[in-house]
Amino acid sequence: MKVHVDPERCQGHTLCAMRAPDLFELSEIDGHSSAVAGQIPAGQEAGALEAARSCPEQAITVS
Amino acid sequence: MTAEDLGEAARKARRYHYDRHAPDYRHHFEEITQELHHQCPVAWSDTYGGHWVASGHQEVFDIARRADVLSNDKDVTGEGRGYQGISIPAVDTEFRGGFLEMDPPEQRHYRQALNPYLSPAAVARWTPFVDELARASLDEKIESGSIDFVDDLANIVPAVLTLAMMGLPLADWPVYCEPAHAGVYTPPDSPDMPRVREQSIQMGMRLYQAIPEIRENPRPGLIDALIHAKINGEAPADPDIAGVLGLLIGGGFDTTTALTAHTLEYLSEHPGERERLSRERDTLLDSATEEFLRFYTPAPGDGRTISADCQIAGTSFKEGERLWISWAMANRDPAVFPEPNQIDLERKGNRHTSFGLGIHRCIGSNMARMTFKRMLIAVLDRMPGYACDPAGAVHYPTIGVIQGMQHLPATFTPGPRLGRSLDETLEVLQQACDQQRLAEPVTRRHQEAEVGTATE
Repeated sequence: MKVHVDPERCQGHTLCAMRAPDLFELSEIDGHSSAVAGQIPAGQEAGALEAARSCPEQAITVS
Repeated sequence: MTAEDLGEAARKARRYHYDRHAPDYRHHFEEITQELHHQCPVAWSDTYGGHWVASGHQEVFDIARRADVLSNDKDVTGEGRGYQGISIPAVDTEFRGGFLEMDPPEQRHYRQALNPYLSPAAVARWTPFVDELARASLDEKIESGSIDFVDDLANIVPAVLTLAMMGLPLADWPVYCEPAHAGVYTPPDSPDMPRVREQSIQMGMRLYQAIPEIRENPRPGLIDALIHAKINGEAPADPDIAGVLGLLIGGGFDTTTALTAHTLEYLSEHPGERERLSRERDTLLDSATEEFLRFYTPAPGDGRTISADCQIAGTSFKEGERLWISWAMANRDPAVFPEPNQIDLERKGNRHTSFGLGIHRCIGSNMARMTFKRMLIAVLDRMPGYACDPAGAVHYPTIGVIQGMQHLPATFTPGPRLGRSLDETLEVLQQACDQQRLAEPVTRRHQEAEVGTATE
């Protein structure tokens, strides 16, 4: 399972990092998010899906 | 009727009449929201000069992110397109509400200047400072067994923190606090309005004077950042800086206070939920915070002007028309939030719009969350069984601008003080700010604030 944050859509709401702190890192400057790694580690799929569902900008895709 | 009239009538066929600023609106909000969602999630309202209202979550999502056809601009010089900013009805003032009433590119330049002071990493450094403030605020009341959560806690902490981040003297917080709140909740036709307006003018002058003061005697913080910002390649003019400061205060004070007060009131009415939240805070506090944000939506909406003819969410908009984006109503859309009018501390998929959507996402969101959580934890720890007095709770008479509370008195089992008085704490915190340069941006200072132990 892969996770990706669309940088054009992300506005730094930070909900993804709240839900799945191991999967997303936030810019120290503006809090915008990027996936820590393309591939989601085993066992963290639910967190990735919940993070995607929690993004107000719908900026996260899980595939 | 002309063909044009018929076209207009068809375009605005989905009409709904309600007054967001009416005193009884708060009691009808859920019912009005449901009707709008069912009948016309984008509706035309004839109030306040006529404007669109977007209330459905999908519609708000589709519309709010269209910065290409929506303008926040407030044309104060008359050299623009005459747009009237984000308030409906428009506010008669020569000041823009900072970058919230601007469009890109200058809007983006302001945010870039301030981001390093308000990012999650930047805000996290202030946590010990906020904890000390909350500790001292509660200490003032802890032995009496009686408190007003608005006057004695939720008004104080966001105000002092905002001043600290700006580089303004912490002891001045009362100058800003009362006008910041009263300016929002006082109805325009109230007999209090002249006094409130006078206080707001005093506050505005104090802010305006701070700009050349800090330019001459530099202190780190948001004001310093604005003085040195490059907006379209140039330094911003003082009136624009003052507008931004007004925005930061207007955005930073009232809203966090509102969220905190509503939450404390709710938890008093639901002691089982309060006890559970306190006990399970490690796993529940984050989702509970988002749920309180969703349900109480302190900043219930924002106005826009359509900047180009367009079709969005099944509606044809014409350039120049006004639009109210209702974050509060979108947050109660059952299509996104099952049982939307219930508070679910564990709610999943809580993609609420309380901090807005798109390029104008609230720049203070990280500060709001941190301050709220620290105040809430302090109350849960020191007065876990507090009981709010329903007869003494005062909600804002009108909630068209901020859904807030003026008073929230409560009683609790008295406890021991833990440290210095509030006034002494403000002195210690002022020293910490000055010596450690706490208000530097996170790019220049990474460390957490050190505010010492409570009883030195």
